Amino acid sequence: MDWGKARFFWGEVAQNFTRNLTMALTAIGTVAVTIVVLGIFLFARSSFNVVMNAVVKQVDISVYLKNEATAVDIDAMMRKLRADPRIDGVRFVSKQEALEQMRRELRGQVNLSLINSNPLPNAFVVHTVEPTDVPVVATELESNPSVALVNYGSSTTEKLLRVRQVLSAIGLGIIVLLLFATALIVYNTIRLTVYARQHEISIMQLVGATNWTIRWPFVFEGVLTGLIGALIGVAVLWPAYRAFAPKLALNLPFLPLDLAAVPIGSLALELVAIGTVIGMLGSWLSVSRYLKSA
Amino acid sequence: MIVFEDVSLVYPNGVHALSDINLTVGRGEFLFLVGGTGQGKSSLLRCIYREVKPTTGDVTVADERLSAMKNGQVPLLRRKVGVVFQDFKLLRGKTVWENVAYALQVTGASSRDIVRRVPRALELVGIAHKSKVFPHELSGGEQQRTGIARALVNNPLILLCDEPTGNLDPETSAEIMALLARINSKGTTVMVATHNQASVDRMRRRVVRLVHGRIAHDEERGRYHIGLG
Repeated sequence: MDWGKARFFWGEVAQNFTRNLTMALTAIGTVAVTIVVLGIFLFARSSFNVVMNAVVKQVDISVYLKNEATAVDIDAMMRKLRADPRIDGVRFVSKQEALEQMRRELRGQVNLSLINSNPLPNAFVVHTVEPTDVPVVATELESNPSVALVNYGSSTTEKLLRVRQVLSAIGLGIIVLLLFATALIVYNTIRLTVYARQHEISIMQLVGATNWTIRWPFVFEGVLTGLIGALIGVAVLWPAYRAFAPKLALNLPFLPLDLAAVPIGSLALELVAIGTVIGMLGSWLSVSRYLKSA
Repeated sequence: MIVFEDVSLVYPNGVHALSDINLTVGRGEFLFLVGGTGQGKSSLLRCIYREVKPTTGDVTVADERLSAMKNGQVPLLRRKVGVVFQDFKLLRGKTVWENVAYALQVTGASSRDIVRRVPRALELVGIAHKSKVFPHELSGGEQQRTGIARALVNNPLILLCDEPTGNLDPETSAEIMALLARINSKGTTVMVATHNQASVDRMRRRVVRLVHGRIAHDEERGRYHIGLG
């Protein structure tokens, strides 16, 4: 591309933008508004995932051992559990520790002097990396000969996992719908700007412009529209997030919402990317409608 | 230069625009296309710059058969065929200079070429003094001169004019027709669809009359009323 041609291209883009300023601003505004809505939803979904993960992560497996299990058995088992890559936490709770813990918990409620033998077993408390591994690991442990009983609140955990799965799928569905709606709205707005220039496009074709010569400035304009719109959207969301997110965490103390775990930076990048791509595709499709040859 | 062979054109809405057109226009010829509104003049011209494709038959332009032409080739055809319209079809947002330069820019011409050829085209049609003016600030005649300059700047082999004087007063019309004759005298093949009886009768060029999409008369050095009794 020589200098004159580059100047022609940028001149076309700039002219389209400034001579149709109202339309350009409408399209940018539309992108910005939809990006804000999408951004709020993406943030909500992301925070929900953080909360859900934190809840599910609290699930432990309690492994109660038979009294016959010797110190050697226990040691071997401990080593085996530590070597398992699915497991990130193993704690041994001896009979004595368990008894003391029970005494602490029951103090003042029961006459503790009545307990003169220790009925409690030795136990392991096992924590898995992935909550979904809990039932699998538990079943494996049950088949160990030294193990008397395995307890992980199976029904509660499974329900929790199931709820997380369903809500996650619903969230994804809503995101897809929202993306589709966003794309449609932006496409229609850009189509209006292209429609307003139908006349110009037909003249370009008449004087022998190739479809690409006509399309490029429009597509580039779409990219700019999407990018600027998305940046405005993010610029609105960012201070709102800074102002409200800490209050949200403060007002919902019962939820383990760790804001540091919400990937806010990559969410912002995603939004900008979505806006840009939608702007580009929107113009591309719009202008292609008017480039049909005889 | 332009050959129509058994061309018929039926629009998707069922209107028979052209029927059994056989017509040969030689290099450097000047031809008037006459006939009432809706008789097929514009449709015939549109076949030449391939705005429409004939339903049957074939059109050959500058040795190229348009029926065999791919859509991607159409822009190249349009650079050999300049078109001028009744409503001028100028870009409102661009000055006279920019409108004419545009036809070169879209073909990928270098800036040096553009700076050289645009003024020449503007001089030829006599609008050079208004090159920085926008179309809405021009008179109808000046707008049409700009349209002609744009059609000519690519040095086309053929210049098609669809009612070029339809929106102009008689005096301006005569000037535009004289300009077209001058362009023709430099070797460009010119076809003019028109209702401008005075010019046709004064210039005495080849006249083709269309009636209901058929060629009713074709006469060298004809008059506007050929074939009307």
